[in-house]
Amino acid sequence: MNKPVRFWGLAMVLMLTASLLLLPRRASQAQAPTTGWLVTGFILDRQGTAVQGAQVNLMGEGDQEPLAQAVSQADGWFTLVLSKAPASDLSVTIVREHFEEILLHLDEATLATLRSSGSVVLNEITLLRRINLSFWIAALIFASMLMLIAVGKLHNTLAALLGATTIFAVSYLGRPLSPDLYIFDFAGALRFVDWNVIFLIMGMMIVIATVERTGIFQWLAFSAYKLSGGRIWLLMPILMIITGVASAFLDNVTTMLLMTPITVQIALAMGINPLVLLMPEVLASNVAGISTLVGTPTNILIGSYGKISFNNFLTNLTPGVLLAMLGLTLYVEYIYRKALHPQQEEGIANLLLESLAERARITEPAHLKKAGVVGAFMLVLFITGEHLHLLPAVTALMGATALLVWIRPDIEEMIEAVDWTTLVFFITLFIVVGAVQEVGLISFIADGIGMLIGENLLLAILAVTWLSALLSTVIANIPFTAAMLPVIGYLTVTVPGAQSKVLFYCLSIGSAMGGNGSLIGASANMVTAGIAERAGYPITYAHFMKKGLPALFITVGLASLWLIVRFTILTNGGA
Amino acid sequence: MSGIVCAVRGGPASKSTIDRSIELAKESGLALYFIYVVNLDFLEYAIHSTVQTISQQMENMGEFILLAAQATANSKGIKAQTFVRHGNVPKEISRLCHEIQANYLVLGRPNIQREDSLFTEKRLAEFIQGVEEQTGATVVLPEPGES
Repeated sequence: MNKPVRFWGLAMVLMLTASLLLLPRRASQAQAPTTGWLVTGFILDRQGTAVQGAQVNLMGEGDQEPLAQAVSQADGWFTLVLSKAPASDLSVTIVREHFEEILLHLDEATLATLRSSGSVVLNEITLLRRINLSFWIAALIFASMLMLIAVGKLHNTLAALLGATTIFAVSYLGRPLSPDLYIFDFAGALRFVDWNVIFLIMGMMIVIATVERTGIFQWLAFSAYKLSGGRIWLLMPILMIITGVASAFLDNVTTMLLMTPITVQIALAMGINPLVLLMPEVLASNVAGISTLVGTPTNILIGSYGKISFNNFLTNLTPGVLLAMLGLTLYVEYIYRKALHPQQEEGIANLLLESLAERARITEPAHLKKAGVVGAFMLVLFITGEHLHLLPAVTALMGATALLVWIRPDIEEMIEAVDWTTLVFFITLFIVVGAVQEVGLISFIADGIGMLIGENLLLAILAVTWLSALLSTVIANIPFTAAMLPVIGYLTVTVPGAQSKVLFYCLSIGSAMGGNGSLIGASANMVTAGIAERAGYPITYAHFMKKGLPALFITVGLASLWLIVRFTILTNGGA
Repeated sequence: MSGIVCAVRGGPASKSTIDRSIELAKESGLALYFIYVVNLDFLEYAIHSTVQTISQQMENMGEFILLAAQATANSKGIKAQTFVRHGNVPKEISRLCHEIQANYLVLGRPNIQREDSLFTEKRLAEFIQGVEEQTGATVVLPEPGES
């Protein structure tokens, strides 16, 4: 296929996807038939989540065959249509994998209503979880995936793909041996894939790929050096701000990949240890990345699941991030106070700085201008999208398409710039997390945490924030966040005051800032260490933890303080 | 062609390597060549697709590190040439030695205690033996602090 065809092909796919995402969604509730006697009801689990796919049968006394049948929809509703007048004794049976079977006898009052008005709505029906072999298998697969990702023996995507494939293998090949081995089928698995997340990430990848080739990061970093006048105590916070702002709109890994080499060069020119600038930068990246909906993959997950808009993140989280950044700046100024003096010989320093000035230029000014215009347009749409019912994924796809059409970059490069590996990672991760959700593991965790927290909002805020932060130092934060979302969703409903969605913000803070606690806590840490090591300045696990763990306590402490003030003292606000 | 190849990784550990190569160049009168190899193995498990862009940035960083080494040599009256290569570190060093028919290869003593070190004791010995056999260059491994 030639390049123009591929180019317009990609642009068409992006636009078509954006259009499909823009289409109004059809109500998931099944259309009730208008003839016959109707028995409707709503099925949910103990966490109040709608149960889809339950087989509902209406049985008459002594009948072998059901009088009517229905399957519960995505919103948990079912409608049974009885073609003949209801008999004196009717009962409803509900069968659903991973739940206890239920038998409900319709009482006289219900039957009387049905006879007189032609329809009746049953009370909410709560199904109880049933633990069987599939529960333990799904839990084992999920834990194994987390372990494989944590130890780095397998690529994240391969670990998630292995998990998803094993789940399908157990479900399809195991079911003939024992029904208890069934987890879900392919269609059931796809219900758990959040396509908004997939397309938002894909759109942003194309935008980022266009921006990162313009040399803007190199220019900004060198401008920071010039602005600081060579004063390291000033250069450090300026670089932190640049990194933080960049991380709020691009992913942290990209930001650090682009910032680290130029920062190393600035440090070498000044004759200081590059880690004095790199550590504050990567810590700032992990902290400030959560300022916006698109700043981190975890925020994208949280925003999509919790229905939290771009503006909600800005207004509810950004002040906390700014507070945390202030604390972080004071902290790094203190710990690096003895390393703030340039030591390079003047002659060599001048030569190196001249060379640096030559390199740190905008390489593609025309592309940068266009990317700036499109970026500003996207920002406006992200902010106003809430009122236009415009999904962030649509904005990202529109931005990506606009850049492709306007800049006309090499289409092969743009296709390569979409990290398909990451997209497969998210799809398969959703399936694995969906499996543990399906078998009820997440419900049990939610119940357990719910019992511990009770109805205390303050305790819930502290528990979710700090638990997420501490676990994120050792567990990959993306799968952790994906698994925690239903738990947080449950707590949001059950804990009084949490309806403001404050616990989603707690998860965002914990999972992102927790990455500062250890070298393996965030991918941005790993790539920074990789580049620094190749410049002859290795960042060891111990070094990172020594500097990063106090930063975690300071930033998470300050950010959670903001959330407490925002959502318990400055009440009547919310998402 | 002949000369001294000095493999530079950057950082404080490279100081003794660079100093030793300059000293050797002064003593022998041979040409001095600094090499930096861009190695992106650390991106293997990173979730990212823009390796090409990063590769360019790493090349810039390598050139910069070598520029500092070149300036140091210059300040001591030695003119040095620089090479930035991409790929496997031992192979690229060996290739340059072969290309310029190096008399000496000055190599920073790798920290083999580190888990991510490219060299183990055995692999280092094999590499030195390989370079000496294939190119005829003598491998010099200065101790840290030695110059």
